[in-house]
Amino acid sequence: MTAVVRAERLTKRYGRRTILDGLDFEIERGERVALLGMNGAGKTTLFRCLLGLVGFEGRLTVEGLEAGPGARAVRSRVAYLPQLPPVFDQSLAGFLELFAALRGVSIEAVVERLEQLGVAWAEVSGRPLRALSGGMLQKGYLALALAARAPILVLDEPTASLDPSSRRDLLRHLTEVGRDTTMILASHRLEEIEPLAERILVLADGRIVFDGSLTDLWGVTETERGLWVDVPADEEAAAAAILRSHPAVRNVRVNGRGIGIAVEETAQLDVLFHLRHHAIRVRDFRRLTPSLEDVMGRFADGHKRGPAGA
Amino acid sequence: MNVPVLLRRELRDAVRRYWFLVNASLFAIAGILLMVFGQPDAMLLGARGHARSLAGLMQLAMVFVPLMAIVPSVVAIAGERESGTLDYLLAQPLTRTDVYLGKWAGVCSATALSVLVGFGLVGVAAAARGVPSSPVVALLACTILLAVTFVSIGLWISARTPSRSRATSLGMTVWILLAGLGSLGVMTAFVQWGLPAWLLQAWSILNPVEAYRLAGIVLLDRETTALGPVGAGLLNRAGPGGVIGLSAISLIAWAALALALGLRSFAAADVRGGRVER
Repeated sequence: MTAVVRAERLTKRYGRRTILDGLDFEIERGERVALLGMNGAGKTTLFRCLLGLVGFEGRLTVEGLEAGPGARAVRSRVAYLPQLPPVFDQSLAGFLELFAALRGVSIEAVVERLEQLGVAWAEVSGRPLRALSGGMLQKGYLALALAARAPILVLDEPTASLDPSSRRDLLRHLTEVGRDTTMILASHRLEEIEPLAERILVLADGRIVFDGSLTDLWGVTETERGLWVDVPADEEAAAAAILRSHPAVRNVRVNGRGIGIAVEETAQLDVLFHLRHHAIRVRDFRRLTPSLEDVMGRFADGHKRGPAGA
Repeated sequence: MNVPVLLRRELRDAVRRYWFLVNASLFAIAGILLMVFGQPDAMLLGARGHARSLAGLMQLAMVFVPLMAIVPSVVAIAGERESGTLDYLLAQPLTRTDVYLGKWAGVCSATALSVLVGFGLVGVAAAARGVPSSPVVALLACTILLAVTFVSIGLWISARTPSRSRATSLGMTVWILLAGLGSLGVMTAFVQWGLPAWLLQAWSILNPVEAYRLAGIVLLDRETTALGPVGAGLLNRAGPGGVIGLSAISLIAWAALALALGLRSFAAADVRGGRVER
């Protein structure tokens, strides 16, 4: 494996405020890395350093090239999907033509990507960007990023402004991105990160407080994974008793709208079969993912862990 | 080098927006009105006949061209910074110099085109009245240089300010100081304080609008008395060629200095949404 991104004592200050505080990390080629952190943790600032939008102290290299405001060669290796796609005063066709030209890719390649994302080019090409939905706009930016065939794809909370349907759609497309592309994404949603990233960097107060897999994250933060089960009201008490008797189940909560239980992912299917075995009619169920607040709260409680699991 | 791509974008945007058309039309209409309805025998800025008409056009350009150059240029970067589009533009494989020069060249071209269209129509009207083309062309060249100077100043302001509104306020202040007040207020101050004439002459050359006025008057009619005591003194000291040369140097120096300072500001600034950090 080769490091495509390497940070050494990466520090960014705005006046007296330190946003990134001496970060050290490496990202290997083809890795899927998620940056987790509350607002102001430094995720977007890290991306800004990588893209050369801001200067910084320390070192940050991309494929061996020094990043920074003058590093045009670095930016040619990084494709960027912003959190809130800016709305240029142009039609979709005009916007894509301009940025395709600036990235040195053909407009045909961008249009092909856009159509792969399910956009009917002929119908929308003449529309001004301001008239497009958030999902459509995001797809335009994603098509550009993918057509650029940059070795590194940077996604800054790519689903933040999307409705649930557009969010699912975008995530599906992102899971299809080839392994020749290194993907770095920032997100607030743990459920989104799970299918996209195998490595998590947790940022808090400008420092990396965790570096490892999502499974490791649950372990380190002692965050409980869960299951929500909907059963008929007259079977709720019996179901709760049966669940409490299962060795993998912890913390059963009944609230009248269903039963929430803490149970490891590996045992969740077994728990559902256990209920069925006892003739409980499960009408619906849903996996429960801890929120970012839960995880960050655990780090605030002192479950801190250094880079690379140190 | 992506400057031509960015230049085309700026130019296309300018042509698409209303200000390009409005500027060119207003300039042309006012110029033609001066040509057609002006009194040929009346004297303006010490000139008669065709020189008088062109002097009127020059007076118009002294106020109007700096305004039509500075308004679009002060928002060229600050506006994009405010809307967040600058971040995305700078995240592309471009240098800051590419982006700055692309914008500068684009706004310069659009403004010059406005002047050209306006002057072109006036030129047609002038030719119909038997005005020779050489003074029109010379004045056109000076006017375009004045426009380029104010675009450079406006873009420098834009590179240093975080918002469209603040950039516009600063741009208007600069315009009022250099073009609006002209040399009148300064001359009053000089008289009031009893400052030496050479200082006022230096100020006249250093103020780009005054430099344009001096060059224009000398180009149109060297016998004119419209230069005023300061300009006349300068003409005596440097001669017609000297006045035109010094004026051209002043305008070019303003443009080059503002361009260089703007490039420097833009290259060094952190870009994050609507903020400028240095």
